[in-house]
Amino acid sequence: MISFVLNALRTTRHNIKANKQVFLMSVATITIAFTIQGLFFLVFVNLNTLLSTWGKQVQLIVYLDDDISKGRMNSLEETFKSNKEVDSISYISRDEAWKGFKNTFYEKSGFVTDLDFNPLPASYNLKFRDGPERLNNIRELADSLKEYKGIESLEYGEKWISRFEKFMIILRVFILVVGAILCVGLILIISNTIKLSIYSRQDEIDLMLLLGATHRFIKTPLLLEGLVQGVIGVGLALGIVKLIHVYMRFQFQGSLESIFRGVDLQFLGQPLLWAMILVSIFIGWVGSLLSITQYLHSTDRK
Amino acid sequence: MIQAFNLHKSYGGGAPALQNVSFTIQEGEFVFLTGQSGAGKTTLFKILFGWEALDQGQVLVGGINVGKLNENNLYTLRRKVGVVFQDYKLLPKKTVFDNVAFAQQIIGADKKTIRFNTWDALKSVGLTNKKDAYPPQLSGGEQQRVAIARALVNDPQLILADEPTGNLDPEISLEILELFEKMNQQGKTVIMATHSLEMLQVRDHRLLILNRGRIVQS
Ligand SMILES: Nc1ncnc2c1ncn2[C@@H]1O[C@H](COP(=O)(O)OP(=O)(O)OP(=O)(O)O)[C@@H](O)[C@H]1O
Ligand SMILES: [Mg+2]
Repeated sequence: MISFVLNALRTTRHNIKANKQVFLMSVATITIAFTIQGLFFLVFVNLNTLLSTWGKQVQLIVYLDDDISKGRMNSLEETFKSNKEVDSISYISRDEAWKGFKNTFYEKSGFVTDLDFNPLPASYNLKFRDGPERLNNIRELADSLKEYKGIESLEYGEKWISRFEKFMIILRVFILVVGAILCVGLILIISNTIKLSIYSRQDEIDLMLLLGATHRFIKTPLLLEGLVQGVIGVGLALGIVKLIHVYMRFQFQGSLESIFRGVDLQFLGQPLLWAMILVSIFIGWVGSLLSITQYLHSTDRK
Repeated sequence: MIQAFNLHKSYGGGAPALQNVSFTIQEGEFVFLTGQSGAGKTTLFKILFGWEALDQGQVLVGGINVGKLNENNLYTLRRKVGVVFQDYKLLPKKTVFDNVAFAQQIIGADKKTIRFNTWDALKSVGLTNKKDAYPPQLSGGEQQRVAIARALVNDPQLILADEPTGNLDPEISLEILELFEKMNQQGKTVIMATHSLEMLQVRDHRLLILNRGRIVQS
């Protein structure tokens, strides 16, 4: 068993050396493909973090009709309090809203507007508990309040959030489709490299068959060869993506920080990294298996 | 050792390479297989060690029903048979020693066993002094002996030698023949294909004669 493995490894190394150029070309192609895929993932992961950071800051603002009755206000507050997901409730009266508006307006423009009436409605600001379902909880409460008499309007930046979410779904599909296409391409490329490797030692392989080697014995080194290509390719690609990540952080972390507080440029998470490595192994395996099986079928006992 | 019944083989187009071929060879026999060029000798050998598929018929080799084997267990048959190919099939970039050891490696023998058996096989064909040479540096007779050593090294029960003296002068041919006879005396069944009349005349072994794919004497 040990000698079987050692022999396979030795043969693999020998094959790679003998076909160095083809091998390197194949590895380079795999590296490029995985780098592209890795960069897509990097963008996706970071947009996703951005989305959830943003989501965390979202509050539900319930604007009230000016003529809402005291009773309806009380029952509204009861509804808020009985909702377990609501973390805090703050009431902002029309006067407070107006004052706040004038203050921020003054700070920004230096003007004080002199309207002789107050155009702003009173409102409740609801903060929600953290959790993965946070946005949905907000959405649910907002939906249940839509028809409520005495409420003028509800706001939680929902248009932007759902647009962003839709975009993320499209991006996800796009990345998966591109990934699948790249995978098929890589399988064909690896399969072709292995085919060249087989043809360059065709006499030897045929002789092995003639002398009674098992198919497994012949296949193993070639499967390893494909697998090694895949793994080296993905390793290099992840290295490149990491370098790009470090560079981007170095360049843009400061300005990013000033726009979105607490947002950090993320690298690909462990599950994603492992997934890419597993995919590369799979691709290498399948790519070489295709060629070997085809060759053995067409050669052995015609 | 071999029971062949009604073997048919055609390569598509033209006359079949083998038709209606039946014969029996006992364990421990030494048999000359002869017939003109194109008579089907190599084809018969290829069928016996599972390289070509039969169109019709049945053949048992060492108790294995060759037609029933699939690509996952063909190797069991091939390990029972040592073949000396008409064109030697030596690997030019491997030394003599490695060429012989190759047959052991691919059946997964361990290093010590490989070294021991390879040396043994080279000794029995008298080539230990050339073990580090490469096949292109050897004479035809020497290459033939390397091929024989490789066929021997896995200790097969049956040896198929396809025209092993084809390109050799009579003296060397006799030496090669004697090598096979020595193996036969050690208990191996040997079938040697040849169309050298001298060879057939100097020895009184059983003759199996093929003519255009048919057995004419067995
Ligand atoms: N791979 C092949 N494809 C097509 N025809 C073949 C093939 N191998 C052999 N033949 C044909 O089958 C017939 C028998 O060939 P075979 O090689 O068995 O003859 P042989 O007796 O070994 O001849 P020789 O003494 O020249 O080696 C010949 O007519 C040959 O042309
Ligand atoms: Mg022949």
